[in-house]
Amino acid sequence: MTNLAIQIKGLTKIYPPDNRAVDTLDLEIKEGEIMALLGPNGAGKSTTIRAASTLCGFDEGSVVVAGFDVDTHSLEVRQAIGVVAQQTGIDYFLTGRENMVLQGHLYRMKKADINDRVAELASYFELDNSIDNLVSTYSGGMRRKLDIACALIHRPKVLFLDEPTLGLDIKNRKILWTHIDKLNKEFGLTILLTTHYLEEADNLSHQVAIINNGKVQVVDTPDALKNSIHGDSITVTFDDVGKNEQAFFHFAQQQSYIKGSTWEDNKLHLYVEDGGANVAALMAVAADNKAQITNLSLSRPTLDDVFLKYTGSSISDTREEEGDEWWKQWAGKGGNTGKWKNQWGANDSDAEEGGEDQAWKNSDWAKNSDNNENLGTQKREEAQSQQDAWPSGQQQWPDKEESHNPSGEQGSQQWDQSQQGDWQNNEWNKNKDGGEK
Amino acid sequence: MLADTWHLFNKYMRITMRMPMWTLFTLIQPLIWLLIFGQLFKDFVQLGDEDYMAFMVPGILVMTVLFGSSWSGVSLLREITAGTIDKMLVSPVSRIAIVLSRVLHSSAQVIAQAFIMLFVAWILGASLNMNPVYLMLAMLIVFLLGVGFAALSNGFAIALQREEPLVMIGNLMTLPLIFFSSALVPEQFMPDWIQLISAINPISYAVDAIRAVLSTTPDLAVFGKGLLVLTVFAGASLTWAVTAFNALRD
Repeated sequence: MTNLAIQIKGLTKIYPPDNRAVDTLDLEIKEGEIMALLGPNGAGKSTTIRAASTLCGFDEGSVVVAGFDVDTHSLEVRQAIGVVAQQTGIDYFLTGRENMVLQGHLYRMKKADINDRVAELASYFELDNSIDNLVSTYSGGMRRKLDIACALIHRPKVLFLDEPTLGLDIKNRKILWTHIDKLNKEFGLTILLTTHYLEEADNLSHQVAIINNGKVQVVDTPDALKNSIHGDSITVTFDDVGKNEQAFFHFAQQQSYIKGSTWEDNKLHLYVEDGGANVAALMAVAADNKAQITNLSLSRPTLDDVFLKYTGSSISDTREEEGDEWWKQWAGKGGNTGKWKNQWGANDSDAEEGGEDQAWKNSDWAKNSDNNENLGTQKREEAQSQQDAWPSGQQQWPDKEESHNPSGEQGSQQWDQSQQGDWQNNEWNKNKDGGEK
Repeated sequence: MLADTWHLFNKYMRITMRMPMWTLFTLIQPLIWLLIFGQLFKDFVQLGDEDYMAFMVPGILVMTVLFGSSWSGVSLLREITAGTIDKMLVSPVSRIAIVLSRVLHSSAQVIAQAFIMLFVAWILGASLNMNPVYLMLAMLIVFLLGVGFAALSNGFAIALQREEPLVMIGNLMTLPLIFFSSALVPEQFMPDWIQLISAINPISYAVDAIRAVLSTTPDLAVFGKGLLVLTVFAGASLTWAVTAFNALRD
């Protein structure tokens, strides 16, 4: 029986007047696990991390980190955790070493121990050559590495990473992933990270929790989440959509392994069960109809698809917004986040939340959210159970689907692009149902 | 707590030492006052046989303290925005130490500035009592005043959360406080209502106390009164700043 490193029960954080940043959130992270919190801006990821790392109080619920209650034993919790916040908290006018030594002193470590640890971490993060340079001369990737090194100086058991690779280029992001992965594997460090990068959650974490509107929508391994979207995606590109291609489309729909389709100009997306095995059969259909295929690609569903399913919006849509928020945090001098939020900050974020709420209410999924309200409050023994509860919440879907699919065909209809969003939601639902039959 | 304060104080001092120019820049305004105002009013103010320069230097010292220490809150806001304060707050470091180290750093800075101002005044030929013991007593007042105003600045920074209104309040407070004190004009020259304000203005007590020990005829009774008032003032400001800082955890 592995112990829980972090146990969050019914966490609720209300920013005045009535902004529930985190709403009866439940989350459990086992020791030695990497958990990624994935969610759009304003979903409550950062607030969750801030509450768990003693940086902000909360209104309801309990948070236990490394065996200590955050509310009553904050000092012990602080001693047991390392935190890397979204903003680099390192001092630009100090050298890397000075930053780390100061951090060691703040954790009341012995001088000799600090020196050992600085040398150890500097070589671990490949900062040996620049450790005595001013941080202002560091590159973005080096600063982030130093930030993590600082957070590790006192050998914490749990590491919180809030958007660890935000604003880094691909190369540096990959380097950081390797480090984070190694930390977990070699030292058994429990890591809770928030991210917008689906690849990050996918590559790095053992468990992914998708968070939206302050609630955990689903927790599972990245693979299980992707498997919950049934089938693979095959994209067929035509030079020109003529009679042959239409015929191919017509016959392809009738194949039992095709679960859905959508047109995007002269590209046809097919959702296929067991794509690897059936791609040849599909090619045969194309050959029979003399369809001119210029390109065909087969891919596994990505976390983006999963994200779309559980939050009702694609993460690439929210990413843009986050960029804005990120900029505002730096430009808005009082800081708009967490504890530093004052009346002005609260108003700002209200506007944002409101905006998102609006979009959220418009999405199909919102209709179900009322039905799902009880989900948040119900105590979840297993992450799985929430997922199981899903289909019941989705019972409103079929009528919508009906209206799109009067012929009752297998979701094979040519939608114009504006409908694509709706279509995708329906289609996934359909796939899910199909898979459960 | 003391060890925490010392380490953080060290950090701030190190940063300041790397940018000595910044410390000097804040001296420009008091220097202008000393050079221009001093020259301008030299013959205009009648103080009997007393040298106006010598009268004015304590006032300028206090002005230096005000200009210097009211920046402390601005850098606190900067640290909050940069996430540096968050990094301290997730560590077990004493919360009091965070405020205390900032305030002490600011005071240390203004003491250094005060010494430079005194040196300039000495070059200009102000007839001051340069006895090291009395000099140290004067610096004690400078220190307490620095602690008080740096703490106020930090407190306002937390209450206002924005740099712009903080700088405004700093500017707004500094000059009136100086004019409503005995910094530039002897008390007997003031209208009654300004005398009244001056009587409750801690700056008046600071100026009087510094003047009392830097005078060629030191008056320890006046100094003692100033020391008492300023100790209370610094203590109260510091308590307020620490309370405000602690209340930040929402």
